[in-house]
Amino acid sequence: MKLHKRWFLFLLICITACNSNTVETPAIDTTKLLKTHEIINNLQETNPLATLDISPMDMSYFPPNYQQMRMSDTIKEGPVLRVIYSRPHLQGRKLFQDFLKYGQPWRLGANESTELDVFEPIIVQGRKLPKGRYTLYCIPKEDEWIIAINSNVDVWGLKIDSTKDVMRVKAPVSRNNPAIEYFTIVFEKADGRNGSLVMGWQDIIARLAFKY
Amino acid sequence: MKIMKKIILLAATIFLGSQILLAQFSVPVDKSPLDVSYYPVNYPSMKLRGTKEVPVMRVLYSRPYKNGRELFGTNIVPYDKVWRLGANEATEIDFFTDVTVNGKKIDKGRYTLYCIPQENEWTFIINRETDIWGSFKYDESKDVVRVSVPVKEVKEPIESLTITFEKTASGANLLAGWDKKTASFPINF
Repeated sequence: MKLHKRWFLFLLICITACNSNTVETPAIDTTKLLKTHEIINNLQETNPLATLDISPMDMSYFPPNYQQMRMSDTIKEGPVLRVIYSRPHLQGRKLFQDFLKYGQPWRLGANESTELDVFEPIIVQGRKLPKGRYTLYCIPKEDEWIIAINSNVDVWGLKIDSTKDVMRVKAPVSRNNPAIEYFTIVFEKADGRNGSLVMGWQDIIARLAFKY
Repeated sequence: MKIMKKIILLAATIFLGSQILLAQFSVPVDKSPLDVSYYPVNYPSMKLRGTKEVPVMRVLYSRPYKNGRELFGTNIVPYDKVWRLGANEATEIDFFTDVTVNGKKIDKGRYTLYCIPQENEWTFIINRETDIWGSFKYDESKDVVRVSVPVKEVKEPIESLTITFEKTASGANLLAGWDKKTASFPINF
């Protein structure tokens, strides 16, 4: 029994040591990031109502810069799409070596699941996506990302219920792009009534085309 | 020579191309990050743990820092002027069910939340126009309801603007606070 306990302790130490090894990140020039951390850490101590997150939330509209266009009266119609997502940053980690795994679902962000608001129906790879709020997640593979559009909204991103998938589509991936520190989702507008949902992190950019 | 020119042109194209890509992806993380508050409070993590409750509403807003500045009654948040109650985009309030504010029934939907701060009183405004930047486009004719409430002083300054909800007997209060000022108004449902 005593031996067992010792073994258990030994194992525990091994596991903890391994864990701390994988969590530790190599030192890189992150003076700017550290500054952000310091600010956020300080805030967490000084804000009695609610703390600020290390992976801040952001949103992107389609057409791109919709709100600015509204400000300058260059657009009359309503927006078509919006993504609300949280932006984790690499902090020296390698995307598919240190934390994401090929073939395993990823919430395409951090914290709350990433939300896609469809204000006007769009066509994705020949299939109609009706108006509504959806959750977006991704199953990354080496040469393409499978993007799932799911109807289970307002939920923290870890519990993915694939039975509520509305559609799954494949987005091609390009590599060796200029480095992107913070996970980024934006929309691009192409000629005619075409656009793309563009997801980029590290040197990888995935593009999902749609019609509206 | 011709080949040289071609190579230079090609190099320039590649360089420019990568610059465009870089520019597109240098979407900076904002100084005033976006945040979301749900009612029930922390609804997404409640749902993760299997709650049977349904979400009633949420606020999407950007959170500027106090950053050592004087805020209220200065040119940062002037009195008697419509304020976006946030930063960047106008603050959005989404009702997932019909609610009542100040005796006025509000249909479920997306709205913009503004505030007119005064020294002792804040006037919250729920307005029909959405997806806009700041309060520059504020259009009073699209107001759904206004509610004026007294300002409360808190001892410890709140560093980043915070909007959250607290449960009441008849619904919830929307609670907003920044620096040493807080104000809340009731939402019934």
